[in-house]
Amino acid sequence: MSAERGEPIRAEQCDSVRVCLDGGWLEVGVGETILQAAERAGREIPTLCFDRRLAPFGACRLCLVGVQGAGAPLPACTTRCHDGMVVDTTDERARRVVRTVLELVLSELPGDPLPGSELDVLARRLGVARSRFAGRTHERRHDERHPYLLLESELCISCGRCVRICDELQGAFALTATGRGFDASIAAGLDSGFANSSCVSCGACAHTCPTGAIRERLDTL
Amino acid sequence: MEHPGADAALLEAAAEGALQPEGAGTLTTCGYCGVGCRLRAHVHAGSLLSITPALEGPANRGHACLKGRFAHRFARSRERLTEPLIRRGGRLVAVSWEEAIATVADRLGAIRRDHGADAIAGLASSRGTNEECFAMARLMRAAIGTNNIDNCSRVCHSPTSYALRRSLGLSGATGTFDDIERAQAAIIIGANPTQAHPVVGARIKQAALRGLALVTIDPRRIELADYGVLHIGIRAGTNAAVLLGIAHVLVREGLIDEDFIAQRTEGYETLAALLDAYDPPTAGAIAGCDPQAIEEAAHIYGDCERASILWGLGVTEHRYGSEVAQLICNLALLSGKIGAPGCALLPLRGQNNVQGSSDMGALPDTYSAYRSVTDEAVAGSFEAAWGTPLSRRPGYRIPEMLDGACAGDLKAMYIVGEDIAQTDPNSAHVRAALEALDFLVCQEIFENETTAYADVILPASSFLEKEGTFTNAERRIQHVAPALAPPGQARTDLEIIVDVARALGHEMGYRAPADVMAEIAALTPHFAGVTYERLGDTGLCWPVHADGSDSAILYTDRFHTASGRGRLAALPYKPPGEQPDAELPLTLVTGRILEHYNAGTMTRRTPNLALCDHDRLEINPIDARRLWISEGATVSVRSRHGRCELRASLSERIEPGHVFASFHFPESRTNLLVGASADVNTACPEYKVVAVDVRPLSEAPSQRPALASGR
Repeated sequence: MSAERGEPIRAEQCDSVRVCLDGGWLEVGVGETILQAAERAGREIPTLCFDRRLAPFGACRLCLVGVQGAGAPLPACTTRCHDGMVVDTTDERARRVVRTVLELVLSELPGDPLPGSELDVLARRLGVARSRFAGRTHERRHDERHPYLLLESELCISCGRCVRICDELQGAFALTATGRGFDASIAAGLDSGFANSSCVSCGACAHTCPTGAIRERLDTL
Repeated sequence: MEHPGADAALLEAAAEGALQPEGAGTLTTCGYCGVGCRLRAHVHAGSLLSITPALEGPANRGHACLKGRFAHRFARSRERLTEPLIRRGGRLVAVSWEEAIATVADRLGAIRRDHGADAIAGLASSRGTNEECFAMARLMRAAIGTNNIDNCSRVCHSPTSYALRRSLGLSGATGTFDDIERAQAAIIIGANPTQAHPVVGARIKQAALRGLALVTIDPRRIELADYGVLHIGIRAGTNAAVLLGIAHVLVREGLIDEDFIAQRTEGYETLAALLDAYDPPTAGAIAGCDPQAIEEAAHIYGDCERASILWGLGVTEHRYGSEVAQLICNLALLSGKIGAPGCALLPLRGQNNVQGSSDMGALPDTYSAYRSVTDEAVAGSFEAAWGTPLSRRPGYRIPEMLDGACAGDLKAMYIVGEDIAQTDPNSAHVRAALEALDFLVCQEIFENETTAYADVILPASSFLEKEGTFTNAERRIQHVAPALAPPGQARTDLEIIVDVARALGHEMGYRAPADVMAEIAALTPHFAGVTYERLGDTGLCWPVHADGSDSAILYTDRFHTASGRGRLAALPYKPPGEQPDAELPLTLVTGRILEHYNAGTMTRRTPNLALCDHDRLEINPIDARRLWISEGATVSVRSRHGRCELRASLSERIEPGHVFASFHFPESRTNLLVGASADVNTACPEYKVVAVDVRPLSEAPSQRPALASGR
């Protein structure tokens, strides 16, 4: 009704917006992200720093998609749909950036990603077997002081999922991002290990970690 | 990805073909606390590799705690009972199932013949499934012929059940955990969720970080108090005074819903008259707290539109626990904060199926859904289904069973999955009762303090090894699926109960757990629509109607009392059964901790021991300094009922004048300290108020008799 009177439609006045995803139009809820719309449409968009239990973070850039009218590819996890939006999840420029980002991530690891890890599965899916970028890799540093949790810092890609799930789902605030640039990593407490931090051993960090940098110890089985 | 958060260790195993990928695994329900987390159990080659939280779990939403997620290695412990055992000449001897079942049936049959059916009593396990609890109740009622059946909700939330039925009509939470996020304010009284119900604790903490105004009331400054807007530290045993004080302020300040009171409640006038006497200065003086805090709590709860109240055993395990739980209901009824989203009364149930075991009628006075054994129509329906006459005489509750055993009236007990020698109060009396029995059957997964007295031990199964349902603290019935086979010759509890009944001449006709659920549904209106298929991945909250629709929020338009109105209870504050005095100057509160679970039977057999390997006595530094007690020192704790030794842990979280101890390790014998004082209506023991004397062990009281009562 407002529209008929020439006034702009405010978000709270409608329940849904229409977006075009890879050529097909669909209706999504107001405030839904492109990633949510894609899931609804059954289109898979790769993600690395995303976990549906957490607020979208937009850090890894693996969910970049082409959006008509946008100057550059946009992250699907943090970009909200608006009415009439035209999204291309197969956008060539976005795909190129994504593969390069993944190569850069892999280039920091001392070896191949942990077989079967989310990172490994993703690299295979996107056809990024090896990195073109040679250079420094993370040094091996293991913390095995906790009976259930293992931290292998060299596998950490600083996606922040563990820190965020510890804050946003558990509320233990036991993990912190440490270091800068290449030396960025995560630590339990003041690098004192899980058992000597505010960690409550819920295992959420291991459950969300996409690389196995933090994982459940099976060696004590 | 469809399932983010794939645990890499599992995926590594998956890549090697050792494991199903994330999203697979056996979807089941946690067997620890009453939160009811949905979990995925990942098994390879007959052994459990890992358990991960299921994203679709309504209570846990992809989360889990130390116990549910990691503490599963007990399941393949070498100490598991794997063959039936019979005591011969003081030694336990392995026998065949045929011999064990025949012995149980012969001995129980002989005792029934010589002393009558009421000389036999059974305990169903709140760790077991609904199906097992229902079958166990049937075993006692139909195969033996007595109503002597109880379960361990007797010693935890029986006062809550009593109070909810009395005030509102139904024995269960009025809403679900989702009401935590929907509420604007919440009161937590007598509970420590981040330790005892960690996943709900995390949900409360997150809600508080997002603006939920949290009020905590407890003699311990619990972790959630740090995230709340108000903490009221009170003397143990004075919950009633604080709740009456809050109700006083609600009425005085007009923070009540007069329309709601007029249309949907009864008893307001009497309550209002009683509340006159509980102005905050009076209530504060009883509870040992600042009167201003009571004013503030009333405003926080009363000023907003949507508020919920959560409580735990700190409310129930008192002499007047069942009255205090009614005083909690009063607040909701006075302010009309019930029967709507965000306005829930949420008792935090202790064990995975403590709600269900009582729902199923594993109680001495009720059939399923709390229908009295004296109700002719109900009893008749069970007689028709089970084809045998049933007793109309209510049976013994647990404390009466133990008294009866000591008095020689009770000759035999059949205990399923409960270690009463460690966990029940007045341990010396419990042991005397077990000793006095002619015949004791324990159906267990491990030997424990109670099986030491058993004549026959039947090796049973853990929650990972059987099918059925658990009902969580939200009244949510959730499916339990087997991930493993029982070890050795161990069998599922249902199979054992069916066989014992058959040997006693009663054919139950159950071939699978689903058959039991079909019978439960047929005989219980609240379960009318329950089938495993309908429960699906996310369960249903009872009452479940015949069409399969369930009831997340109760009392939206009427209460389930005779009049349809909520009953406001005019109950005054009464002092607890024990008071500290010159000789026993401190008040002991007992409870559980994050790392361990109740008797510790399971968690003590996992690497959780590396995180905590002993019970501690928490003591305020002020008291510790006065008593020359230092951190880690071994102290003697003496009550009127017994003495034990614990290591001290100095903590500002406990109010001065109080000490706190857990009871997870049998060597601590914490429950020797707890006496026979119990809730006046339900016989739930007063675990939360015990007068004690604490001193460094170097001053052993036995060597200084002049300091003890003989002075």
